[in-house]
Order: sequence, then C-alpha cells, then structure tokens
Amino acid sequence: MPADGRHPLGYARRHLRFGWWSLLVFLTLGFVLELLHGFKVGMYLDASNETRRLMWRLAHAHGGLLGLVHVAFGLCLRVAPELASRRLSATSACLVGASFLLPGGFFLGGVAFYGGDPGLGILLVPAGAALLATAIYGIARASAALEAMDRTPAGQGGGKRRR
Amino acid sequence: MRQLLPIGAIVAAAVALGAAAVLTREPVTPEDRVANRPIQVSTDGFVSSAACKACHPSQYDTWYGSYHRTMTQVATPETVLADFDGVQVDDVHGEPMRLERRGNEFWAEFNDPGAAGPESERPRITRQVVMITGSHHQQIYWYATGHDRALNVLPGVYLIADDRWAPRSAVVLHPPNQSVSTVDGHWNAVCLACHTTFPRTRFDTPFLSEAIAEQSVDTTTAEFGIACEACHGPGDEHVRKHRNPLRRYGGHLGDRPDPTIVLPTRLDPQRSSQVCGQCHSVWEFRDAAAERQANARGFPYRPGGELRDTRFMPQPTEQRRSPELAAFVARDPAFVTGSFWPDGMIRVSGREYNGLIDSPCFKHADDPQRTLSCFACHTMHKAPDDPRPVAEWADTHQVARGMDGNAACAQCHPAVADDAAAHTRHAPDSAGSTCYNCHMPYTSYGLLKAIRSHTVSSPSVAETVAAGRPNACNLCHLDRTLAWTGAALEDWYDLPTPRLTEDERTVAAGLLWAMRGDAGERALTAWALGWAPAQAASGTSWMVPHLAELLNDPYEAVRYIAYRSLRTLPGYAGVDYDYVASREARVAAALPILRAWQNSALSRRRREPELLVDADGRMRIDEFRRILHQRDNRPLFLRE
Repeated sequence: MPADGRHPLGYARRHLRFGWWSLLVFLTLGFVLELLHGFKVGMYLDASNETRRLMWRLAHAHGGLLGLVHVAFGLCLRVAPELASRRLSATSACLVGASFLLPGGFFLGGVAFYGGDPGLGILLVPAGAALLATAIYGIARASAALEAMDRTPAGQGGGKRRR
Repeated sequence: MRQLLPIGAIVAAAVALGAAAVLTREPVTPEDRVANRPIQVSTDGFVSSAACKACHPSQYDTWYGSYHRTMTQVATPETVLADFDGVQVDDVHGEPMRLERRGNEFWAEFNDPGAAGPESERPRITRQVVMITGSHHQQIYWYATGHDRALNVLPGVYLIADDRWAPRSAVVLHPPNQSVSTVDGHWNAVCLACHTTFPRTRFDTPFLSEAIAEQSVDTTTAEFGIACEACHGPGDEHVRKHRNPLRRYGGHLGDRPDPTIVLPTRLDPQRSSQVCGQCHSVWEFRDAAAERQANARGFPYRPGGELRDTRFMPQPTEQRRSPELAAFVARDPAFVTGSFWPDGMIRVSGREYNGLIDSPCFKHADDPQRTLSCFACHTMHKAPDDPRPVAEWADTHQVARGMDGNAACAQCHPAVADDAAAHTRHAPDSAGSTCYNCHMPYTSYGLLKAIRSHTVSSPSVAETVAAGRPNACNLCHLDRTLAWTGAALEDWYDLPTPRLTEDERTVAAGLLWAMRGDAGERALTAWALGWAPAQAASGTSWMVPHLAELLNDPYEAVRYIAYRSLRTLPGYAGVDYDYVASREARVAAALPILRAWQNSALSRRRREPELLVDADGRMRIDEFRRILHQRDNRPLFLRE
C-alpha cells in the first residue's frame, strides 16, 4: 500500500486519465505543427526559427511519449497492483511532474530563443528529466520486487497478493 | 529450415542492394588528399562556417544564400552552370574549345595559353576544370595546370544571364588587340586574396618574380568563398569558449561585447568599413617582403584591426604627392588610370571602400552615430523581419530593408528627405528626387554594366569638364548639353558653370561622351542609354543611331552594353547581333538597324541641333564624324 494509503487502483485511474488527456493535448500540438508546415508559416519554418522548430517538435514528441508512459503505467497498476510500492505516491508525482516540465520546457524554450540556443524555458527540461528518471527508477524497483514476490510461495511470509 | 529461406533471401537481397549502392557511389576524395588544386585547411584559428551553423542558423542561412559564399567554388555538377556535355565553344581565344563531362568531372581542350606564338597556333592541351569564380553574372573556370596546386583560366568565360561563352578579353573593359593575362598560378596569387577566406598562396617567391614551374605551389585557404571568418575573424577561440552553456547564456542575457569574436556592426564606422574594404578596395603589398610573408603565413589583416597597417592602399585624392603612390604608379602606371578617374575618384566596381572614404559623409563626419559606413545601407545577414526572400536580398546587393530609397540618406538628413522636391527641384516621386541618382550616380564600371559611385558627391559640370566623368544630371538628361546643366545648377544651387567649349555648349552631353569619351565613358553612356529613368527623361527616339555606332566600338565591353541597351528600345528587342563577331559581321548587323531608323518616323521626331539633327530631321553626319574623330583612343583597361 502506498504511504498515503491511497489504493493502487486510484493511481491507475489517475495515470490513465492523465495519459489520455496528455495524448490529446500533445497530438493536438502535433496537428498544429502540421498546420504551420501546411501554411508555410515563417515563424516556425524560416531558417532563423530552426531552434523553435526543433524545440516544439521535441515538446510534441516528449509530451506524446510521456502520455503513453502514463497509460502504460496505469494499465500496469490495474493488472499488477503489486507494483504499488510504498513510494507509489512519490513515483506518481514524479511522473506527472516530468510530464509538465519536459514538454513544457521544450515548448517554452522555443517561444523565445537566442539563435541556436533555446530560451530560458529550457531550464525546466533537466528538472523534468530528473523527475522522469526518478519515477522510472521507482517503477523499475517495484517491478523487481514483483518478480521476487512471484518466486516466494504463497503463505510463506512473502508478499500478499492484493485483489 | 525451409521456413527460414524467404527470410534469408530478403536479407541477402538487402545486403546486395546496400553493397551495390556503396560500390556504384561516386567516390569522394577527402580534401587533404586533393593534389591538383588549392585545398581548404582549418588552421591559424580558422574553423570554417560549418562550426558556425549550429549556433547561428539564421546568419548562416542568409550567408549561404549570398553570392559571397559562391564567389569561389569547386567545380561539381551542382556548381558548374555552363553545359560541358560534348560542347564546342567558338567564342574563345584561339581555336574553338571543346568541353566534355567525364562522370562528375569537367574537362576542356583548348590552345595552351602559356605557349608562345599566335593564340590559334599554340599546341592543344586537355585539362580538368577544378575551380570556379563567380555565380551571379559570370562563371570563370580554372583548370588544374598539373604543376602542384597552380591553376590557370580557360580562354572563355560563361555569361550566365546570356547563357553564352565569350572570350576572356570580351568580359572586361580591355583594349582591343591586347592579350589578357593568362599565367599559371594567376588564381593562386591574385584571385584567392579576395575570393576566399584566409588564403595562403604558399609560393616560394613573390608572384612573377620567378617562373611558376620553378617553385612549389601549395596554396591553401580556410574556406572557398567569403565565409563567416572573413568578416568575424578566426572563430576557434569563440567556438571553444562557447561550448560552455553558462557562457553562452551569459552573453544572451547581458550586453557585454564578446571578446572572442569580431562583430563588424559593433566596430566604429571606420573599422567596420575596413572589414569590407579588405576586399572592396584597391590595394597592394607594401614590398616584396610583405608579399613573401603573406604568401607563407596568410594575410595579416584581421577584422577589427587597422587595414592600412597591413597594406598600401592607393587613394589619389589624398596621396597625390606621396612617394609611396609615386612608386606604385611607376611600377604599374596603367593600374591607377585603370582604377581611378583623373581627379582621383574610383571608377571601377568592387572597390567601393575607396569611394566611401572619399565621401564627405565619411571623412567629414565627427559623430560615429552619423558617420557613413558600409553598414549604413548594406547588411551581410538579411534581417529576420525582412520579408524579402534571401535570393532577392542577395540579388539587390544585400541592401538592408528600406535602404534602397531615400530612407538611407534620411538617417542623417531627415529634413531634406522629408521635402525632397524642394531640394531636388524635381517631382517628388520622380527619379530626379531619388537621393542616390544625384549623389551616387552610375559612374563606376564593372561586370559589363555601370555601377553606382560609392563616393557620395553632388552633381558638378566642373568635375565633368575636368575629369571626364559623366555628371548625374546628364546621365539622366542625356539629350541636354553641359551648358544646360550648368545653368540649372547655377540657378538652383549657385554653382558656377566652368568655361565650356563650343561642343560642350551646343552638343548633348550624352552624345559627346558616347562619341569622344574614353572607353570607360562610352561604356557608362551606352549603359545609361538603356537605363529606364534616362529614357524617361530624355526620350528614346533619338538614341538608335548612337547605339548603332557603339555596336562597332573598338571595345568589346562597350559593344556588349550598347547591344543590351538597344534591345530595351521599343521595337528593338529582337535585334540580332553578336558583339564578338568580326567587324564585317557587326557592320552588317548595325547597318539595317540604322537604315530602318532613318526611314522611320522616329528619326524626325526630335529636330534639335544638340542631338546633331537639323531642322529637316536629317542627321548632321559631318558633325557626327567630326566629333567621332575626337574619340579618346588611349588604351584603357579598367581593373574591376
């Protein structure tokens, strides 16, 4: 059970919801970027805006992929609630935080920029990357514990399956 | 096992395809292994434009689209504009030249320019074309001589807009019957100085002091063409230090100048203009030792430095009595007459810095904010908010947005620009109220056309009389006399009219320049006869016989320009004429033009004695011939 006592299914719902909405937002961003291409908008396509183009593409890609990570994590929690370690609340918060900071940092870095260098919004990206790494580490550790539980015979002091 | 067969077949097919792609690919020779031409080498702190692109994409992009970049290129299928596919070119020095493609290589067979004897009797040689000069108006092709990295030039030049070849002597204003210089190593010693970035000739001795065959030629350059570091200085330290993101963002967020790179626009007007002046000026090595040093170690000038410390820059208007100029003239008298008007004003294109520093807006300015510099009107990187395509910006001499009109001068002279008509006495929207047309008239020559003078000056009949240089008023009002112009300038601006000869008082200035001027004046006049503002101001009905006469000028360049102007006249767009054809052929082409005009109503439209037409509408042939006999036939080679 997570430290905050919240049920893993609650987290599963939270990440599924977050993931699908996140996908909607960042796929919409992708659609907007395609429109900018379609109408040959200079503020996105001109050579002088190459940095903006790169940053916004990165925001689109990271946001979309992180949305999928949320969906996958939510499904995992439903299928294997044992993944819910004591640090689930922290892991969940880190994943959500990374999903704001990583694509948000890239997007802001492309709003105002300095030649080949992105704007100061890019400073959010390393923070987001750290949160994402922390979240993935937490999930990886929990999945390792899950494996250990599978090897322990039921009723011998191993992990108790929660249904 | 049998199930794996299809997968194996697919893998084998993929490997075979990949191998075929690799094996049939045109091999790319690494630059350091090229032996038959000058090579690009990163040395002495120069790192090439490739290192600038990642951080300065906008600047890189606009530079990439400029003609500075393509000033010098390696000959490749992408860069060669002329057709080399089994073509025979007749319009060259010597016997016809044969051109051939061998894969991605370009080869030419022609008479050896280095051999003795008449051009057409020299032995035939076949050489690979390896380098190109130019990409805007002309392409000059350089072949590998076979001696180290020394290059020499093909006997013909490709004129891009005309899609035709012409003999080398016919693309410059060059005296007829004089051969043009074609010496092995010419590119290495002369052209590379201004057509590449950080060049090193690397001859053993100064050019022409010893036979090229007797010395080694290991020419290198940091980059072909005029690249980033030509204007910003070597970039190695800048690139190294700016790998640190904290330093970069410190620069973005602050306004402190970066000591690791030169930004010409942040230099004072003198030094910033010198960055351009390192190439756009007349200059010479101070002595053989300086040339030897530059040959070995590269040119000593770096952007931000004092240009005159590194070379001798002739400026006759200031140095008339200087021993250095006297020595320069003694070494090569024709160089000064071929570069400057008799009063010392520069008269050839590509030397705009000499014009700038003679301008009152530069030399009399005491406020850096109000001192004319190259960057007052031009920009080397198209501004992000400039809506013009890069190609259009490059085609219009990289003039900054809005600086192609009176706004350029209004930066310092707003009151005059606000009420231009009061100053110019011309209609506000007319060509006569354009600052450039009166103060930077087309009195420089280059690239088979007239170029604006970059010495800001005021129209003056006295200067025309003294130096022969066409004045701004009569470059538009070609059909008016110098006396007419003098009276207007006296009336409007209290400028005294100098003493004029009978012809100057009674014959249109345009006719006098076209008939009795030197070859440079004739070329400028031929160009002005096709210039839309001049045609609007002067009318065109009287121009045909004078342009027809210029079609038989002794100078090929004058004939070329006259033909181009003739085709701008109504009804003459389709005239067939070849400016490098024999005299007989040219006369045969010009005569029908003249006769058709004489028989048309056009010839009787202007019955004015200053146009040498009598009251009955007949040309005064005797007067025409009399003035033509006064033509300045002194040989003139304009060193554009």
